[in-house]
Amino acid sequence: MALLSVRDLEVRFVTRRATVHAVNGVSFDLEPGETLGIVGESGCGKSVTSLAMLGILPKPAGRVTGGSVVFQDRDLLKLPDSELRKVRGRDIAMIFQDPMTSLNPVLTVGRQLTEALTAHLSMDKKEAVKQAGELLDRVGIPAAATRLNDYPHQFSGGMRQRVMIAMAISCRPKVLIADEPTTALDVTIQAQILDVLSTLVREEGMALILITHDLGVVAGVCRRTNVMYAGRFVETGSTDELYARPRHPYTLGLLKSVPRLDAARRERLEPIAGAPPSNMHEATGCPFAPRCVYATQESRERMPELRPIDRHDHLVACWNPVPDADLPEHEIVAAEWEPR
Amino acid sequence: MTAASDPLVRVENLKVWFKIRSGLIIDRHVGDIRAVDDVSFDIIRGETLGLVGESGCGKTTVGRTLVRLYEPTDGSVFFDGEDISHLSQRELRPLRRRMQMVFQDPYSSLNPRQSVGNIIGEPMRVHSSATGGDVDGAVRHLLDVVGLPRSAYSRYPHEFSGGQRQRIGLARSLALNPDLIIADEPVSALDVSIQAQIINLLEDLQDEFHLTFLFIAHDLAVVRHISDRIAVMYLGKIVEIAPSDDLYASPLHPYTIGLLSAIPIPDPAVERGRERIILTGDLPSPASPPSGCRFHTRCPFRQPHRCDTEVPELRVLGDGHAVACHFAEEIKAGAIRPHEVQPEPL
Amino acid sequence: MSIAEAEAQELQLEQPAGLWRDALDRFRHNPAAMAGLVVLILLILVALFAPLLARFGPNQQVGPLTTDPAGPGGEFWFGLDRQGKDLYSRLIYGTRLSLLVGLVSVAVGLSLGLVLGAVSGYLGGWIDNLIMRVMDVMLSIPGLLLAIGLITVLGRGLFQIMLAVGIVNVPIFARLLRSGILSQRESDYVTAARSLGAPGRRLLLVHILPNSLAPVIVQATLAMATAIIDVAGLSFLGLGPADPGLPEWGRILAENASRLESGSHLVFFPGFAIVISVLSINLIGDGLRESLDPKLRA
Repeated sequence: MALLSVRDLEVRFVTRRATVHAVNGVSFDLEPGETLGIVGESGCGKSVTSLAMLGILPKPAGRVTGGSVVFQDRDLLKLPDSELRKVRGRDIAMIFQDPMTSLNPVLTVGRQLTEALTAHLSMDKKEAVKQAGELLDRVGIPAAATRLNDYPHQFSGGMRQRVMIAMAISCRPKVLIADEPTTALDVTIQAQILDVLSTLVREEGMALILITHDLGVVAGVCRRTNVMYAGRFVETGSTDELYARPRHPYTLGLLKSVPRLDAARRERLEPIAGAPPSNMHEATGCPFAPRCVYATQESRERMPELRPIDRHDHLVACWNPVPDADLPEHEIVAAEWEPR
Repeated sequence: MTAASDPLVRVENLKVWFKIRSGLIIDRHVGDIRAVDDVSFDIIRGETLGLVGESGCGKTTVGRTLVRLYEPTDGSVFFDGEDISHLSQRELRPLRRRMQMVFQDPYSSLNPRQSVGNIIGEPMRVHSSATGGDVDGAVRHLLDVVGLPRSAYSRYPHEFSGGQRQRIGLARSLALNPDLIIADEPVSALDVSIQAQIINLLEDLQDEFHLTFLFIAHDLAVVRHISDRIAVMYLGKIVEIAPSDDLYASPLHPYTIGLLSAIPIPDPAVERGRERIILTGDLPSPASPPSGCRFHTRCPFRQPHRCDTEVPELRVLGDGHAVACHFAEEIKAGAIRPHEVQPEPL
Repeated sequence: MSIAEAEAQELQLEQPAGLWRDALDRFRHNPAAMAGLVVLILLILVALFAPLLARFGPNQQVGPLTTDPAGPGGEFWFGLDRQGKDLYSRLIYGTRLSLLVGLVSVAVGLSLGLVLGAVSGYLGGWIDNLIMRVMDVMLSIPGLLLAIGLITVLGRGLFQIMLAVGIVNVPIFARLLRSGILSQRESDYVTAARSLGAPGRRLLLVHILPNSLAPVIVQATLAMATAIIDVAGLSFLGLGPADPGLPEWGRILAENASRLESGSHLVFFPGFAIVISVLSINLIGDGLRESLDPKLRA
């Protein structure tokens, strides 16, 4: 029984000038304890998907125009805000890219932590303070207890992100959504944060949705991956499977356009021609067709649906999936995926 | 790539310190941000030198000091054999034609109120190197060169995507046919699939126009792909310089090792199997760098003596491979193992 | 298809649009702003064609001197004033004065304010400090009081009053422009221009100023409205233009405000004229602010 079930989610941004079709029919399931990656470039709709799930789309432009998000037998999209507020932070928590704007600059970190604890878990103040200190310690902030009285600006970027994580897990949510949590951080700090995140997710048995554009981050943290383009999932499957046998031309293109540190230095990168679509119109054919080397007339006229390929849990939305000959050369590791 | 051939750029013991001022009524000089602290390197004609490091390492300052956007506090910069460190702005002007910069943020590096044609033609107008119709012709040619449609000429930056704006910036930098292009994070703000387009374009332009690049970035994978040699910076100093393949195959400095270890690789099987060395703690502030070796507070190979007292020199250890670490040989030989480092509370 | 061709196709779909044109477009689609603009244009036309629109001269005596002047009716559309002059005609001619006041004060304030702001923002250092401290002192005195102070020195001619009101605006414009310059000065595109050796003058005129002017433009329109109100206020205090014949709206209103029982039309109509003018200018100012704001661009 899936913990979270999203079906045919549609989100539009409506302004006087134009309508942006940000999310166009996204469906996925999340099992308890599963780590799911949503990977895509800017404008593909990955962040909007998570904002829509929690009912925090920017108003008035952003609106959900279809679909359902079922969590514990309730459709979150249909809940009144008073009910949703109980879910947010408590059962489903979210961390964002820029901790400076998501943390209140005029409240101490300890206060922000204890507020979450007393509000959602009805803890008494003293217990909450103790818990807050333990949380900071768990996310690896040195001298945690003394730092409860510090303000966000007194922490470095990496530390602030840890504080955000502490706040997010404080009520032991079942689902943690991390939206580009390390994009703004230096790479050595990123490694620390991903390490903390992976460890906590494992220890708490939380499900994690990790949203990012970084193929390497997803490879290291997520068991399953969904590739998103123009508001749709174009390929989903286990991370191992996707990286070894990327059947969607976009996934293949992404993998080929990124220089790999451990591969021999190629003569040239192979970029994907063109640029992502503006999402201002309903797409008729496959949205990737204009940039796709495998595109046919059918690709331009009919929208492909997600269908299994290679394995029952590897789905691809493509009329002309990547043939074997064009797959990147790899050893497919059949071993069971283990967390780091 | 011989060291004997005269380099296009030579930097010797460059220091760029920014004064910190504080005070109630009159600002007093209370300290310095040592953005660049005794840095020396060469850039050889026709090569791409990558300059890589994280926040506060000084790489952007180095790039900007080369074009004298910042004044060197100490040390010298030589361009084509000439010492340019103390030239006046007026004396510098003719030299500026030969070195140009490309910037990171495609959204702020173009004047929003100038048309693309004006933006690209600006260098020519500033230097009066061509007039009127010639400028137009040159600009249209440059648009072709960078792969933009000719109709872009009369349009404005906000009508273009990030990748296209970077192309405009590139066209601008080529307008005066420079010898050296300093690219400061030219692809960091772009989507992955567009990054590859721009990187390829840079390589093509280098071949076609015989350019020399200083490629400044924090993404080591991208830097390794495009660069012939790489210099790694940490907190204002160069800690290692090596040819690109050597740097990855056998990194000698503990920071480089930690950096390489931290970079995620888009391959789950590889990620699972890696032995990670995760550097603890935060980057110290350039206003109060640690004593001795700047990296010693986070170094997993730190030894009880020398590391916190003596500043290591950049020493050549192999063919074109230099490193600033007291114990580089021992680390390479495996005589010293990494140990856990307690992060210091700030 | 090459990347360039694909992108050329995309660009074909839209007209080239500089930021100014884009702002104009947005302004045109803002109903409140357009309403304000229409009213302002009407006022300008009234001012220009005053002799044709007025039915009598502004100081022409067409009725008796009386403490109970006739209200609107018959020949006198807005009624007569206590000196027997046609209120309607006086107000029509008064339009010229109000618009002139708005224009000249803003021109004075802008020209001085822009220069000071540009020098301050661009050069920085002790000049910046000095200029800003002077501006601070000026700003610490309430506008009307400052104007009064200046008038006692300069005199009560119409031009002197406009000058005084204009000078009150100088620190506001100076600070606005300075802050715009400060924020643009460190932008990448300015750095890019510097790195190619563009001289200071070019940096300021071609790059920095055009991108710092938007808030100043908005403030200039709003300053016109406040200038009209300020002069009306000065008239209220008995410090308006000394010439008793000038049909300045504020003066007419002030002179008759205390005697509402017998001649409310003498308060209502000039008041209405002031409100209409100020409102229309404010609507335009708000419209400009919205259309010039880069963040609101779709």
